[in-house]
Formats: sequence, C-alpha cells, structure tokens
Amino acid sequence: MTPDSLFQIAGPIAMVGWASLALAPLAPKWADRIGGYTIPAILSVGYAAVILGYWWQGQGGFDSLANVMLLLSDPWMALAGWVHFLAFDLFIGGWIARQARRDGVPHLLVLPCLLLTFLFGPVGLVLFLSIGAARRAFTFREIEA
Amino acid sequence: MTDATFSPPMPALTLRGMIPALFGPDPRLAMLGGVLLFSMIPTGLAMQLDPRLFQGESIWLKPLKFEFALAVYLLSLAFFARFLPNGMLDRRALRIFSAVVIICVLGEMAWIGGAAMFGTASHFNLSSPVMEGIYGLMGVFAVTLTSASLVYGIAIWRNPAGLPDRALRLSVALGLVLTFVLTVIVAGYMSSQPGHLVGVPASGARVPLMGWSREVGDLRLPHFLATHAMHVIPLGGMLAARLLSPKAALRAVWGLSAGFVLMTIGAFVMAIMSVPVFPI
Repeated sequence: MTPDSLFQIAGPIAMVGWASLALAPLAPKWADRIGGYTIPAILSVGYAAVILGYWWQGQGGFDSLANVMLLLSDPWMALAGWVHFLAFDLFIGGWIARQARRDGVPHLLVLPCLLLTFLFGPVGLVLFLSIGAARRAFTFREIEA
Repeated sequence: MTDATFSPPMPALTLRGMIPALFGPDPRLAMLGGVLLFSMIPTGLAMQLDPRLFQGESIWLKPLKFEFALAVYLLSLAFFARFLPNGMLDRRALRIFSAVVIICVLGEMAWIGGAAMFGTASHFNLSSPVMEGIYGLMGVFAVTLTSASLVYGIAIWRNPAGLPDRALRLSVALGLVLTFVLTVIVAGYMSSQPGHLVGVPASGARVPLMGWSREVGDLRLPHFLATHAMHVIPLGGMLAARLLSPKAALRAVWGLSAGFVLMTIGAFVMAIMSVPVFPI
C-alpha cells in the first residue's frame, strides 16, 4: 500500500460519514453511530497505523513553521496529517449534529455548519458555537424547527 | 413607550435579561441577527490580515457592512415581532416564511463573502453568465428578505391588541411597509444600473463612514433612507404618541411618513441626476 492509495480510500470513507450527518434528521441514531463515532474511529485507527509505521522516518518537527512544513513534505506524514483532518473534522461534525439535536437547533442552520466544518473545519465549528451563543444571548424561547 | 405595549414579560434589568427581552419575541430572526453580529469578528480580523483592495477599500469592508446591516434589520424585526398577533410566528406558514428569509440572508452573505474572498465584485458583476445568473437570483433573495418587513407591517396594523395606541401602531406598520416599498423601488432601480454611482468621481471624496460620493450621484444614499423608514417613522410615532393628543399624533405620523417618502424620493432623484447630497 502506498500513501497515494490510502489517500484515495480515506476520502470516500469520510464522505460516507458526512453524508450520514447531513441526513441526520432521517435517522439520528444511525447518523450518530456511523458519522459520529464509527467512521472517525476507523480513520483514527488508520492514522495510528501510519504513525506507528512511519513516524520514525519523519524529518523536521513542531518547533517552527519551517520544521512543520518539512515534516509534512514526507508523503506518509502528509497522509497522516490529512487523515488527522478527516477524522477530527468528522468527529466535530458528529458532535455538532448531536448537540444540535439535543438543543433543538433547526437542521436548516446545522447544514451550513456541517458544510463549513467539512470544508474548513474550525470555520464550521465557530459558526455552530456562535449559533448557540446567539440563541442563549438573544432569545428566551426554545427554537422550533 | 408605555409598559402596556410590551407583551412579553420583562425580566430583570441586566444585560443578560434585557437582550432576550428586546429580541426574544422572534427567536429565529434574533438568533440569525446575533450570528451575523458575531461573524463581524472574523470578518474584521480578515480585514486586518488581507491587504487586498476592491475599489480603493479593503475587500472585506463590504461583507462587514452587510453583516452589520442585515443584523440590524433582523434584530429590528425581532423587536417589532412583539406587536404581532399572539402565536402568529408559531403557525406553519410563518415558520416556512422565516426559513425562506433565513435561507435568503445566508445566501446573500455567502455570495457577498465568497465574492470578497475571490477578490471579485458581488453586486453589478455581469462578467460571466454564471455571475450574472447569481446576481439575478440574489435580487430575488434580497426582495424576499425585505418582504419580511411588509409581512410584519401589515400583520401589526391588523392587530390592535398588540399595540393599542393607534398612532404608534400606524407608525410601526407604516415604517415597516415603507421600508419594503421604498427599498424595492430604489434598490430595484440601482440593480438595473451598471453600479451604485451615477457619474465618474474625480477626487474620490466621500462622506466619512457611510462612503457616499460627494462628487456624483450615489444610489446607496436613497437606499439607506428607504431601508431605515422602519426606524425613523416609529421613533417619530413614539414621540408623537407621547407629546400630542391621539388625533394630532395620528396626523403627525401621516405627515412624518409623507415627509420621509418625499425626502427619500428627493435623494433618489438627485442620485439619478448625478447630484451629490453632500457636495464638497
């Protein structure tokens, strides 16, 4: 297996998770199981395997931006970094879907958060957090979908 | 305004209690307004980080202005929602209408923010069939989100129980309806033009903060007036209801509204004729 072939597999696996979260209102339990936990866990296991096998040969380090770039210039480390993104972004997406369901945030507002978390991780997270903050600061009623 | 006009309960006079008391009657629009206010923080930071300019200003200035303007609009509607018939916002049709308005606001912001990100124009961008098509769709979105003021205005006028003082109710209803009517006229005309300026400025002199040209006609000025009918006329109505007899207050609200419409049309005609309202 090459880093390229694993990269090709990792993307579609994550996409299944995102699709399940986007459709969460149809089957919330399954969305949570698949997108919220199982797929982030699969990706994390893959990440762990790559780190176990190839961390030792990585160059660079974490002490400067130049060293981080050097570390990620190795295809195995770049793959690990990418799978790290996929796993954590999806886990955050699962948390958003779960939290939104608990707080009764309309799915219409959850979808842009999921899309942005999928594309630009922290942007989607901060959008979702700001929805919660706005809800607490500006309203005194529960939001109805 | 007297306490009798506040239908929701007034919690303790703290900031945490005051803000929900002001905007809580319409939680959906209040929430979106709050999110837009918060989104000014990353937009403002991007303005500091990103040196790119568009027409002499930071490319992030326009998204920042729209976030603020739409937040003010939504929070104003959320405030006026206290005068709507009880339970109106919980009805299915109104929930769908709110959802449509929210989609339109998010769509406008995605378009304006996205265009800024790629360093291109959002409004007046006819550079490709795709951008032209999106611009047309955004016009529909803009009219739709502005129609919320029309819907709220009419519903408030038809609900004397929500705001018993006739002059005050007239001022709120008329302000909201005029915001829709005047904005659609002015902004509709502006969108059919090649840009917001009528004429070519030489020095670039502009009104501070607002950015209106001081050399040529600027259609954004009448747009500003048109859109703020919902603030100016109710404020006038509030004063009239306080200071005048009921009959005189009613007449004052009609007079103020007529004057405001004339002023907006005057500024609109001046802009079309390429005359600045604040010449150098």
